[in-house]
Amino acid sequence: MDVELHINNSTAPEVRFLTWSPSPCRIRVTNPSGANTPTVSVKIAGVSAASGGSVVFRSGTTGAFSSTVTLTVPVDGTSVSFFAAGKFGQASVNDGDIKIEARVGTTLVGSVPVMVRIRKDANDLTTGERDRFVAAFAKLNNQGLGRFADFRNMHVSVSLPQAHRAPGFLPWHRAYLLDLERELQAIDPSVALPYWRFDKPAPNIFTRDFLGESDAIGTVQFSNSNPLQFWKTDNTPGINRTPDFPTSQAPPGLSNEAQTLALGTQFRAFRGMEGDPHGLAHTSFGGSIQDPATAPKDPLFFLLHCNVDRLWAKWQRKNDRFDAAVAESFDERPTSRSGHRLNDTMWPWNGITSATDPTRPPTAPGGGMAASPAVGAPGPQPRVRDCLDYHGVTDAASDMGFDYDDVRF
Amino acid sequence: MLGATIEPALSEPQFAALVDALAADPERRGDLISFLREDHPHYGERGAAAIVRMRGWVLLAIARGEVPDDALIFILEELDTGVDPYLVAAAARALRSYPRPTAALAPFVMRALGNIRYRDEPVSFADYGEYAISPTDASAVSEVLATLRWLGPRARDILPQLEPLRAPHGGLPRKLRLDVDRALQAIRSPAPEDEPGTHSCCGTAPNGVRSMSSLPSNSRRGTKQIESIALQDQKGELITFKEYFQGQPSIVVFFYTRCDNPMKCSLTVAKLARVQKLLEVQGLVDRIHTAAITYDPAFDLPERLRVYGQDRGVRMDAGHRMLRVIADNDNDVLRRHFELGVNFIESLVNRHRIEAYILDAQGRIAVSFERLHWDEEQVVIRTVEMLKEKECGSGSQA
Amino acid sequence: MATKRKIGKRASTRKQKAATAAPVQSPENINDVRSLLKVLRDGSKPIDVRMAALQSLGAAAFSVADFDSVHADYIAALREVSTDSHEQLRRRALGILMRNKDGYAQKKLLDGLKNSAKALVPPEKALQLLSYDVHAGAYSAARSILKKPPNDEAKREALRLLAADTKSTPLFEKVLRDKKELRVNRQIAASALHSLDPAKLQARARKILLDKSDYSDIKATSLTALEQFGDDGSLAKDKTLLQSVNRFKNSKISAKYKQTARRFLSKYGP
Repeated sequence: MDVELHINNSTAPEVRFLTWSPSPCRIRVTNPSGANTPTVSVKIAGVSAASGGSVVFRSGTTGAFSSTVTLTVPVDGTSVSFFAAGKFGQASVNDGDIKIEARVGTTLVGSVPVMVRIRKDANDLTTGERDRFVAAFAKLNNQGLGRFADFRNMHVSVSLPQAHRAPGFLPWHRAYLLDLERELQAIDPSVALPYWRFDKPAPNIFTRDFLGESDAIGTVQFSNSNPLQFWKTDNTPGINRTPDFPTSQAPPGLSNEAQTLALGTQFRAFRGMEGDPHGLAHTSFGGSIQDPATAPKDPLFFLLHCNVDRLWAKWQRKNDRFDAAVAESFDERPTSRSGHRLNDTMWPWNGITSATDPTRPPTAPGGGMAASPAVGAPGPQPRVRDCLDYHGVTDAASDMGFDYDDVRF
Repeated sequence: MLGATIEPALSEPQFAALVDALAADPERRGDLISFLREDHPHYGERGAAAIVRMRGWVLLAIARGEVPDDALIFILEELDTGVDPYLVAAAARALRSYPRPTAALAPFVMRALGNIRYRDEPVSFADYGEYAISPTDASAVSEVLATLRWLGPRARDILPQLEPLRAPHGGLPRKLRLDVDRALQAIRSPAPEDEPGTHSCCGTAPNGVRSMSSLPSNSRRGTKQIESIALQDQKGELITFKEYFQGQPSIVVFFYTRCDNPMKCSLTVAKLARVQKLLEVQGLVDRIHTAAITYDPAFDLPERLRVYGQDRGVRMDAGHRMLRVIADNDNDVLRRHFELGVNFIESLVNRHRIEAYILDAQGRIAVSFERLHWDEEQVVIRTVEMLKEKECGSGSQA
Repeated sequence: MATKRKIGKRASTRKQKAATAAPVQSPENINDVRSLLKVLRDGSKPIDVRMAALQSLGAAAFSVADFDSVHADYIAALREVSTDSHEQLRRRALGILMRNKDGYAQKKLLDGLKNSAKALVPPEKALQLLSYDVHAGAYSAARSILKKPPNDEAKREALRLLAADTKSTPLFEKVLRDKKELRVNRQIAASALHSLDPAKLQARARKILLDKSDYSDIKATSLTALEQFGDDGSLAKDKTLLQSVNRFKNSKISAKYKQTARRFLSKYGP
């Protein structure tokens, strides 16, 4: 007997990525030989490689998860649905380091490798995770010729009002990071964007094998085997970054995580973190990352913002702020600029330029939001509200396919 | 191997003195207009910041007297697509010396406000090349607002765009909000009398300002000098000018990938993509060629051309290409033939205008669009005329 | 969007963390920003207080609504302090101005490279800052520095600045070929050559890998360049190259370089 396992409702290898959110799965019998009843009892379990991730299951949309699930599956090929999710705290390290196995009795009837792909603390990545991330990022940059140029051009002086100093700051950057991460995953699907936890020392990030070591004048040096040595933006090679603190320590003066999460239970108060710690993290350096218009020239920008987004995710979890219908989840103001209200689409993904709306920049680089093979949200032209329920708490269809290692579903 | 450095003939102070002398001489003031062409030799081998200082000074010098009609397009160009606050401020100030303001000028001034309000700088016009280092009353935004005030009732059409700027969180400081108020007051004041053809929208150029010129068939330049130059496209394929441009009308734009003004090259190439879509819709995409030619052939190698075009949605196939010249001298041939509005410091562009051309079926320049934003539909309409010309056999050989 | 927060408690925590540095705060509104601009310009204040003010202003650029409304004053202040007596303030102010493509800063930096008596920062820093703007017109200054580099960093920054100069292709070929050149300069040359003439870089990288006497670090750079950006079809067919890479992998090199070689071979090997 053989069964077919669908992860995220597909058998394609590119969708076999799980987060802490339940992913819709299906099982169906493709070869009923040996069956002499109309249904069989199939036990589904995850088998993890050493130091690999771990998976949990449940049969319906509610209820507890457990390490196995047993389903009654018709032998006529009708599929039966179930849900799989990464076990919180046990993310994968490598692609396919977990196998989801289906057994009838002790007989293995189907198996599929999956990855619990999670955004992690960049300081704690394994060498393999770090090298894969760096290689994908360098490929996206492609010495200035790659798609990264669009991401750089989305964050320039004329476009800053689309994303800063207003309520849409956090949703816009969430969409920005997700778009970039999906482009990285199109190069290497095992990659997730890591975060720079700027309230703690992160010496492993500022090394020649990762995001580089700054010399006395702030030119970043890379090892000879690091593909980031070929990084180019605005037709200039290299990265300028002068840390104003020893990189064996955390930058001083920023609010730490507890203080940030304590800003208030309403989004209106929480979004003050745009100044501290976000703005102060940027200005803990001299160099490109210090200025809004040049910050994304430094790849560190994306790890910084990944932490900003993680803090928002953590605050959302702590205060249950995933539902856009709940006023405290956002700072909705009728007087807000375009792109900063819940039902507004966001530039550049909406393609609107100053040709039709003078409040928008003259061009809209990058086109629509990158699609994910595994999930449908947020669509090619996300609205602000689409960026709140990132892991589908209020509506499973809102799941954007990413999670943080320390923020549970 | 390190390359000889070519120094410009005049130092900047010498250039400024020359400009001042011309401005002071009523017989020679008109010569200053030629100093506004990008390809003027004075601008060769200078960095972009020097060009800004020099051009700004020329505009200010012209504006010491009445600004003549043929200077107006340069001022409007700067307001339309300029991103350097000093130069935009100089253009806004210069406009106030134009003796025949009309409503058609207002959208340009408003656009300038949009272009520089997020990068305002203090400006000082007392001496050549001066940079303000103290907080002053004069900034690029204040100059632009002063010009809106000068336009007064002629600027009524832009009131809906200006009014929001006086809100406390509209992005302007209190001292500039006072300038906004003054401008609003002037605009709302009763017009002395209706001027003919006052109302204009969408940035169409005022009467008398020609950003488009077309040549009748019998006065179009021949292509003998240029037809044998070799061009390379985004796939690395070689083709001569004659092979690509003769036999059907073509639409040609100029650009370079290192352009850092998003309203110039990036937008130009994106608009070319829209032109191509219009041609597709009208079933003309196989009967009209399009081309984007780089000013910077040494740097804009085929792969770079391809990615640039692809990122802007450009269609690339046998009749629609991104092109560069490959022989050193051929860039000069191209420049001379099209009279391109561009200059260089070594091989790097230091300044250029927006320019688009329609070539007839013999590959001759028939229509040119210069400096101000060109309209995609207009370009297609004009090109279709070239097609009809070809089909009626009414275009004659040079 | 002024937000009430417990400033006092936060400020004391920050002060504990940064006992020797002046406290940095994230400004909440335009009035805060104006006060900070005054502090920045005030030469009588201690330098660490002024640097903290500059850092806070930088944070305000990210987060204070209406920051654009004081942008002109911010630029004016930066220009003023770019000639301050404290070098660290000059450096930081010039860096911010150059990222804004400010003509005043460009002129000051170029004048300083031509005439060291006018230099506001060391030549290597001036070159690094000028490289923010490809249109700064600094190529001739960079070439002069290369003729007689005052120090290694200045040479390196001059090379980096020239990486987009189409006339410098022969220069980068020479630097890449020269085994006596510093590792970091050969690394920049590889990167520059890949931009200016990718076919030349691929040919040169191949030669380096085949050259038994060349250094392992430049071989690692060459391998990385080929693996990331090389032409897959031709690399897979190049048996001689693959053999050299195999030899490289088995030689006495660091574990990291061995891994680079292994990755290359697993991608292109049989």
